[in-house]
Amino acid sequence: MKDDLLLRWILRSYTALVFLFVFAPIVASLVFSFNSDRFPTIPLGSFTTGWYVKAFSNPEVWDAALRSLVVSSVTAILSTAIGFSAAYTDYRYNFTGKTAFVVLALLPPTIPLIIFALAMLGWLSMFNASGMTVSIIIAHTVLCAPFAMAVIRLRLNQMDPNLEPAAWNLGASEWVTMKSVVIPFTLPSIIASLCLTAAVSFDEFAVAWFVSGLNKTIPVVILEILTGNIDPQVNAIGTAVFLVSITLVVIAQMLVMGRAKKPETT
Amino acid sequence: MTSREATKSDHYAIAWRLPLIVWQGLFFVGPLLFMVAMSFFLVKNYRMEAASQFTNWSRLLSKDFFWDAYFFTLFLAILATIITSVVAFPASYFLAFKASDGARRWAIFFLIIPFFTSYLVRIFAWQVILAQQGVINAGLSFLGLGPWQMLNTQFGTIVGYLVLCLPLAVILQTFSLASIDKRLVEAAHNLGCGRLRTVFTVVVPLAKTGLVVAAVFCFILCFGDFVSPYYLGGSKPPTLSILIIDTSKSGQQWPRAAVVAITMIVTLLAVALAAIGFAYKKRST
Amino acid sequence: MMTEPLVVFDNVVKRFSDFEAVKRMNFEIREGEFLAFMGPSGCGKTTTLRMLAGLERPSEGDIRLAGKSLVDVKPHERDTPMVWQSLALFPFLNARENVEFGLKMRGIDKEKRRRKALDWLERLGIGEFAERDVNSLSGGQRQRVALARALVTEPRILLLDEPLSALDAHLVIRMQGVLTKLQRELGITFVYVTHSQSEAFAMADRVVIMSKGEIAQIGSAREIYRTPANRFVAEFVGRNNIISGKAVSRSEVVTAAGTLRLADELAPSSDVTFVVAADRFGISTTAPTTGNVIAAQLISEEFVGAMVTLFLEAAGGMELKVQIQERSLGEFSRDPGQPLFLTFDPAHAHVLKG
Repeated sequence: MKDDLLLRWILRSYTALVFLFVFAPIVASLVFSFNSDRFPTIPLGSFTTGWYVKAFSNPEVWDAALRSLVVSSVTAILSTAIGFSAAYTDYRYNFTGKTAFVVLALLPPTIPLIIFALAMLGWLSMFNASGMTVSIIIAHTVLCAPFAMAVIRLRLNQMDPNLEPAAWNLGASEWVTMKSVVIPFTLPSIIASLCLTAAVSFDEFAVAWFVSGLNKTIPVVILEILTGNIDPQVNAIGTAVFLVSITLVVIAQMLVMGRAKKPETT
Repeated sequence: MTSREATKSDHYAIAWRLPLIVWQGLFFVGPLLFMVAMSFFLVKNYRMEAASQFTNWSRLLSKDFFWDAYFFTLFLAILATIITSVVAFPASYFLAFKASDGARRWAIFFLIIPFFTSYLVRIFAWQVILAQQGVINAGLSFLGLGPWQMLNTQFGTIVGYLVLCLPLAVILQTFSLASIDKRLVEAAHNLGCGRLRTVFTVVVPLAKTGLVVAAVFCFILCFGDFVSPYYLGGSKPPTLSILIIDTSKSGQQWPRAAVVAITMIVTLLAVALAAIGFAYKKRST
Repeated sequence: MMTEPLVVFDNVVKRFSDFEAVKRMNFEIREGEFLAFMGPSGCGKTTTLRMLAGLERPSEGDIRLAGKSLVDVKPHERDTPMVWQSLALFPFLNARENVEFGLKMRGIDKEKRRRKALDWLERLGIGEFAERDVNSLSGGQRQRVALARALVTEPRILLLDEPLSALDAHLVIRMQGVLTKLQRELGITFVYVTHSQSEAFAMADRVVIMSKGEIAQIGSAREIYRTPANRFVAEFVGRNNIISGKAVSRSEVVTAAGTLRLADELAPSSDVTFVVAADRFGISTTAPTTGNVIAAQLISEEFVGAMVTLFLEAAGGMELKVQIQERSLGEFSRDPGQPLFLTFDPAHAHVLKG
């Protein structure tokens, strides 16, 4: 029994170390963002908000932030709409080519971003459609739709297959049933999907870098600062970016988990 | 049960099927197919011209630097996959078997967060931590050690790959371990199988599929990543992903970049298929 | 001119890719009757109900409701409300809103539909739960919400798909009472699908027994029990003894347990199978000198309240069961192996066709 306790203690400490490794950079960039040293080390320098002042007095950063906001909002709406339709089709229908449909729906995340970025750049250039804000939105929607589909499909799994027929049976047409039964039922997952896809789009840099041209988003600005030299501005911008994404992801998870905890028995 | 026969005139069914087919057809399948075509195009005076020449293929595949990059990338990705799987396993084992349900849920909750937060910023933080005058070397100098060169080495790249993959690996491994029938583990103990031996003879084979899937995802992520080898590994030597950036961004040689990209996809496909075959192979004993 | 029955199934066939779920069905449902479909799972009873509701389209044939063909009518354009096995209550609506759903779809104004929904909830005895989340209600209460939701539009016909299968035994009996009372009061047609013999026999005016996509028998509970149409029905009903033999005259059959006399006209030297209901046997410890007698040995017994079921074995391995009131059973040893004599009236034996 003593052995057992020791083993448990070792495993627990090990797991804590893994979590430390995972969260160290997030905490570090928060700490460094308020640290006066250009090359942060131990012991830390003095407290400063200078990096934030420097970062946010840069009009280029504001411009990029605004663009990121637009890109991630529009991407979230588009990819959630596409993800919803795919999830609903998968839930409700069987048809020839269904496997191909599902593979098409879930494949994008398995292609390395840099490859997709190159392909997208070539494709959009052919139509003279690269280098615009809308180019980023188009590409991000491709990448985010699978996440939207997965989240919404999970919720549809909990829907009684007789729920829709019950509504038809009571006089609702298929479209009315969609509006008054399927959407209300999946609403938590739709909101979760909006948050999650917005977070993915907000952080994506590889594809945005390739297709954005001069229309940079925040992660692209970070990437370009990084390519220069170690500049703690990145910590300030990064901490702000973390706050946005973590908020979105936590909201999404609350919505998904809150429902999972009390499954509805209908 | 609910799926009624969808006839050709079932507008409702078609309406829900179309958005994905149209969007992913136009902006996912289209670009990838175009990239294949692009690999046969020619570049003249910094302008791409449609062609069907094998020039790009023969030029690139006959260059040593390409094959150096190829095997280096493969080596790094395989190494990172093994290290990630091994580092993740004890934590996943703890979460799956020793932690309470609530603790496990919270752990997964936290592990999902980094997956959706800026990878770039996290890599920058590690750049600062691993630097010559960074936090770790400062700590080592207190102990009278170091400084060690960690940034711009393969060690740096591997750290970056771990940042990229570790959360996902722990999540996937935990799920596959948690779905094992605990009675089988107890039965093994009951039959006098030692603790460590049980892990390797009972737990790992039972969770094989999930563990392989986790490893495949690690491999895909590492194989395609350019941030870690560039910012933590110093691009010495470049990986395939960096090669794509160099040829396309600075050299405007999109067709050659396409050749690199296609060899990467073929490699990924082969690895994924081999891994799936291995994961689902019936055990001969 | 004779008016057509409420529902007519006219040569209806339903195929799912390579599987024929319903094979050429012809039957009628009369206005105001309580009709139950019963059969083992996969017999096609639920498919039949779903075709009536428009959830499955017949592969062949026609279904008419009040003289009009339903085949091309979409589910939401029919007035055939259904109570679902899973209840299928809308989890994001409260009890009252669930009941209002059908009225809302018919464009009835807010005030009126609220009043009607509350009336129905009241009528089914759950008025006080009107504003409650349906997930917080008990099984019986949810059942009543589902009933109210289906009945609030005052349909001519109500479809019920194993509605009681998820309830505890004591609630099932209570809901059976609720359903029969409602059906009598409203005078509307109930079409009830179940695999439970006790539910079908307790409530239905007529029972349709189905087997492998075909109708095995239609009749009242009494008819099906006393005069099963074939071996499948006799076995499915369960309380029958099935005895086979060879006719030696127009009224006598030689079986493993001896020669027995039947009331039906028999074709000499044909194979004969007949049933005797378990409660039609007399039992004694001494051999009667006249009538049909089967000598058997007691195997085991089973008490259900005042009734006792005896399991016996006669010559040739013939297994028999006898159901009898405990108080009318004479004094004898209940040890296995006890010899007993069973008697039955030839008029109570029912010869099976085919």
